[in-house]
Amino acid sequence: MKTTDPGPLLRVRNLTVTFTERRSTPWRRPGAVTAVNDIDLDIEPGGTLGLVGESGSGKSTTARAVLRLVRPSGGSIEAAGFEVGSFGRRVPIAYRRAVQAVFQDPLGSLDPTKVIGDIVAEPLGIHFGLRGRERDKRVAELLDQVGLASHHGGRYPYELSGGQRQRVNIARALAVEPKLIILDEPVSALDVSVQSQVVNLLEDVQERTGVAYLFVAHDLAVVRHASDRIAVMYRSRIVEEGPADRICERPAHPYTEALLAAVPDPDPARQRLQRERRRELRAAAPAAGPRPATGCPFAARCPHRMPVCAETFPGWTPVPDGGRVACHLFGGEGTARPSDTHPDYQETSR
Amino acid sequence: MSEVKVPAAAVSGRSGSRLLSRLVQQRATLFWAAVVLLVVLAALLSPLLSPHDPLKGNIREGLLGPSADHWLGTDKLGRDVLSRLLYGARVALLAGLEAVGIAALIGIPLGLLVGYLGGWPDRIAMRIVEGVMSVPFLVLAIALISVLGPGLTKSMAVVGVVYAMTLLRLTRGQALAAREELYVDGVRVAGAGDRRILFRHILPNITPPLIVQVTLMIAGAIIAEATLSFLGLGVQAGQASWGSMLSDAQASIRESFFLALPPGLAILLTVLAFNQVGDGLRDLFAREAKGGSLGVNPVHHESGSGQPPPPGLVAADPLLRVRDLTVSFPQPGAGRVTVVQGVSLDVAKGEILGLVGESGSGKSVTAMSLLGLVPDPGRVAASAVELDGRELTGLSFEELRKVRGGAIGVVFQEPIASLNPAYTVGDQVAEVLREHEGLSRAQARARVVELFEQVHIPEPDKRIRDYPHQFSGGMAQRVMIAMALACRPRLLVADEPTTALDVTVQGQVLDLLLELRAETGMSILLITHDLGVVADVADRVAVMYAGQIVEGGPTEDVFRRPAHPYTEGLLASLPRNVRRAGRLPSIPGVVPPPSAWPVGCHFADRCPYARPQCLETPVELSARGDDRATRCVRAGELTLAGVGDVPAAGEPLPPAAGRPVVKADPPLISTRIEKRP
Repeated sequence: MKTTDPGPLLRVRNLTVTFTERRSTPWRRPGAVTAVNDIDLDIEPGGTLGLVGESGSGKSTTARAVLRLVRPSGGSIEAAGFEVGSFGRRVPIAYRRAVQAVFQDPLGSLDPTKVIGDIVAEPLGIHFGLRGRERDKRVAELLDQVGLASHHGGRYPYELSGGQRQRVNIARALAVEPKLIILDEPVSALDVSVQSQVVNLLEDVQERTGVAYLFVAHDLAVVRHASDRIAVMYRSRIVEEGPADRICERPAHPYTEALLAAVPDPDPARQRLQRERRRELRAAAPAAGPRPATGCPFAARCPHRMPVCAETFPGWTPVPDGGRVACHLFGGEGTARPSDTHPDYQETSR
Repeated sequence: MSEVKVPAAAVSGRSGSRLLSRLVQQRATLFWAAVVLLVVLAALLSPLLSPHDPLKGNIREGLLGPSADHWLGTDKLGRDVLSRLLYGARVALLAGLEAVGIAALIGIPLGLLVGYLGGWPDRIAMRIVEGVMSVPFLVLAIALISVLGPGLTKSMAVVGVVYAMTLLRLTRGQALAAREELYVDGVRVAGAGDRRILFRHILPNITPPLIVQVTLMIAGAIIAEATLSFLGLGVQAGQASWGSMLSDAQASIRESFFLALPPGLAILLTVLAFNQVGDGLRDLFAREAKGGSLGVNPVHHESGSGQPPPPGLVAADPLLRVRDLTVSFPQPGAGRVTVVQGVSLDVAKGEILGLVGESGSGKSVTAMSLLGLVPDPGRVAASAVELDGRELTGLSFEELRKVRGGAIGVVFQEPIASLNPAYTVGDQVAEVLREHEGLSRAQARARVVELFEQVHIPEPDKRIRDYPHQFSGGMAQRVMIAMALACRPRLLVADEPTTALDVTVQGQVLDLLLELRAETGMSILLITHDLGVVADVADRVAVMYAGQIVEGGPTEDVFRRPAHPYTEGLLASLPRNVRRAGRLPSIPGVVPPPSAWPVGCHFADRCPYARPQCLETPVELSARGDDRATRCVRAGELTLAGVGDVPAAGEPLPPAAGRPVVKADPPLISTRIEKRP
């Protein structure tokens, strides 16, 4: 089960996840929906990969496949030395120690009938057999690490604020000292003023413990701040991948460009430019229809679409300054020339 | 329909004590619980309470009426009816407990297991359950007892097995739903095995409905015992049971009709009590799960301070004029808690006003209260709410409803949840038109197609026949907007209209709002937490924090040079698509609950510039320049950082981006910058 080959902490190859639809009538064959289609991902130890996409893009399904909460229908996932595909119904407890998760809904992911102290203590009992005073001491340490006071241990989840609940989820994930934490939209349910507190906390934790993150989110601006590299997903496919700053300043794929143009900016002057860009991109594209069976999933919305786009999914083309793109615009030319329309995004945040 | 959240403080407190305090309010349930307790006591203490031996009697003293010695008289064999009744309570309860105990021991674990595992064990178990439950219960029990032979223990065991099927089905359904909950994924990832997930996590969470069902089942089992004993299949001859007493009474009904009354009433009252307690528990748990929902609550008139609000919140030609709006909710043990405090604002004709704030700021409650849509215990008052010169305070809900349907259109956050899944979208929009404009069916239909065209729904004449689930989120929001536009409103209230949508779709919906405003000249009150959305479309902005407006003015000015530290903190902590330098700035702490709002500045405990004087007295909104307002005592001395570094024409450069500049003393926390290694 353990592989000896050293390499990235997470290596996903050709991952495909297919869900069977409910039969509409008993005599009809149930349809299948491909939520994740032939994707590759790598995360180095201590690194952060941002996985960004809109609802229905398959980003959360990817995260759940790595956690073995859904069963992949093809491809391989190697994480922290484990071959996830070889797991049966029972996932080895050692894998649960290596790979942890924080989910989007901070309240829903906590058992409403348990107090915070017991929630954080649970993995300590399961994995290390800690009991009594020793366990309480560790719980207090963990709560302190995520910025909660020890008196929070006696509260129920509904008595805490959204940000505090997410801190509890992070404390529980940290309890087993994992190598990789899957963050599935960890801040999107939080208030703006609290979002950045949690992102900063995640960074502190990473600096201190060297844990790696798979940061799944729909908000490109948040992902850019939290990640070293970004993979952009659209309708089950990864369409572009590369260093975070390159993706956000010089996107190569037309979808990444559309996504960037849609990120609202609080600076009204910049937002006016954003709106112009948004309208230009949309002017050329009709609304998205049903997912095509073949070809590029973005073709229907793409302002640059060509006949070939409807036929085959493009192969990967390397992009200067890092990463690669899957788009016919760049096919066959050796390297892609990414769009240069975002010089102002090189401005530094305050 | 979207829900207006009741402030967390109004429902806080330990779950146990909360349930208890609510139980105290359910007087009827308490009464019936006392009856149950009485029956239990009678059963437990029957040897002490009984004046006579229930099994022995003097046949010569048979069929006596009530007397001092025999309060309820005697039966045909001269046995004391009161004593038999008390001992009968013991038999009834023991029989009930036996049957329900067996049902729980079999039904709950099996139900948990098959619900959690699913697949073939589930299918097999459910077929068996359906088979057993398709046979009438009494027929089945009698058939089995005739095989096993009569006897109370045996017959109640049979009843228990039949009841186990009901409990199995209920538990299975609950477990099936619970296993999809996110917290189950949470503990699974934490390393919990199946047994731990089932018994430590799922079982405690599904206990409330099981308690209700078990309570109701005890009532059923008591009736079953009485029925079986009446038929001679339960207790052995001579033993005291309410059922066998009824049977005896029937035998001597010609001599004494009174004999049937005590056991009959005992059964009636006990069963009624258990049923009432079960129903009471169900209500109790159900209310626990339910949050506040849309209520009907007109705006009361109350004279306010009379002071005009500062510039920045007023408009020269207002369509909507709100003065001193206050919303309060009752809080257990703490009187009333005011969640919106003295909000005054104007929306000019053709203007988009952004009302921005985090959760708990009161922005949604503010907007919903204007429409009379605040959950019921809430109280809304204002010195003035004028729409196009018409005073809305003091109107009845019915009058307010007419205004709302005609002059005000509303768009909510969850477009698909706001539509009725059982009707086509075309019918739903047409209904609004026929109700408010009195159009005929054909006219309404034509107008719906027109409206759908206006909001750019492709192929409108085809799509009006579709159901809500056939629409994507963005298209459903267009339907909602079309519905809001149906009666050509002067004011559109949009409550987080793009929050549930994907970011690329959000842009399209905002573009649509801008386009519609240009076409129709309507005003829009846009409620959102997203400063980017406000920057995109709002002409003016009002920032709310903890129930108060803390800053107001033209959007561009406010965002470039905020005049309140909260606005500065919000702008700084918003992640933007720019290259990062060090940690994200953030505002420390959280929005306090309404019950914890201080007398002075509500933001003081999170403010990097706070001074003792901030907490002393309530802070009023003050004018800043001729088109701005801020609620900060230090507004005059602080120079706060906003977004952007390009000054508008003719204005001086704002202070160095990224660093709040404070005269006199340095900033304490929050927006400091640390270089990452």
